[in-house]
Amino acid sequence: MFREITFAALATASLSVAPAATAATPSPPNAEAYIIWPPDGAVIAGGKLWVRMGLRNMGVCPKGVDLPNVGHHHLLIDTELAPDAQIPSDRNHLHFGAGETEARLELPPGKHTLQMFLGDHDHMPHDPPVHSRKITITVP
Amino acid sequence: MDKRMYQLVAAAVLLFADPALAGPTEAPHDAYLYIGWPNDGQVLPAGKPFRVWFGLRNMGVAPKDVKFPNTGHHHLLIDTELPPADEGIPSDRKHLHFGSGETETMVELPPGRHTLQLLMGDDKHIPHNPPVSSRKVTITIR
Repeated sequence: MFREITFAALATASLSVAPAATAATPSPPNAEAYIIWPPDGAVIAGGKLWVRMGLRNMGVCPKGVDLPNVGHHHLLIDTELAPDAQIPSDRNHLHFGAGETEARLELPPGKHTLQMFLGDHDHMPHDPPVHSRKITITVP
Repeated sequence: MDKRMYQLVAAAVLLFADPALAGPTEAPHDAYLYIGWPNDGQVLPAGKPFRVWFGLRNMGVAPKDVKFPNTGHHHLLIDTELPPADEGIPSDRKHLHFGSGETETMVELPPGRHTLQLLMGDDKHIPHNPPVSSRKVTITIR
């Protein structure tokens, strides 16, 4: 009997805690991230470019600061986005945790994809996730 | 006063200005603020709001009251000169504040010539040291 009660209590506790632990930071429903430049299909001679990151109906804020309706930019290069996990930090996932709105890139020759993904103060995607369309550029 | 004269006066003011006449927050010396759209000299249709893009390089955006190195928030100056660099940027119809970290906005202006200029403010709306401002663009609404 005692054991059953403990189990029940544990189950209840974990049930009530679980949603809070996974609750994502809400984003405004009309928020929109988009790549201002370069345009989809652009050919970038030399492979050096500035990517301008655009955001509508939402603000930019450095990492670690928990405020409503803000996030910081991530630029995904040659990779897919995973909307349910913390955004990785590697060569394919550039973080702009200091509130930057433009990114300087140097890409090798070939086709490359670029996509923006907004992260909250803890680099987690918002709910709903705020990301741009994926574009493809070519470095000849 | 023609444009060159303005530039000369501005240069003289910069040269002889008291270094104390700047805000307490440092900005990177290579910070570059610019209006990505509209272009200087652009003619835009009357009665239609247009988007203004805030471009910023070598520096980041942070909402007001957030103290984070090398960041600030955007202010759009419409039909006015740069305010004093050592006080809070005024908040009125000629000085629009973007204290939530916005990086673009929609504006509608009456027919005529108008000037647009960006100025960064620190967590307390005071320009940085050195002040980070864009070139002023002139547009025509008709």
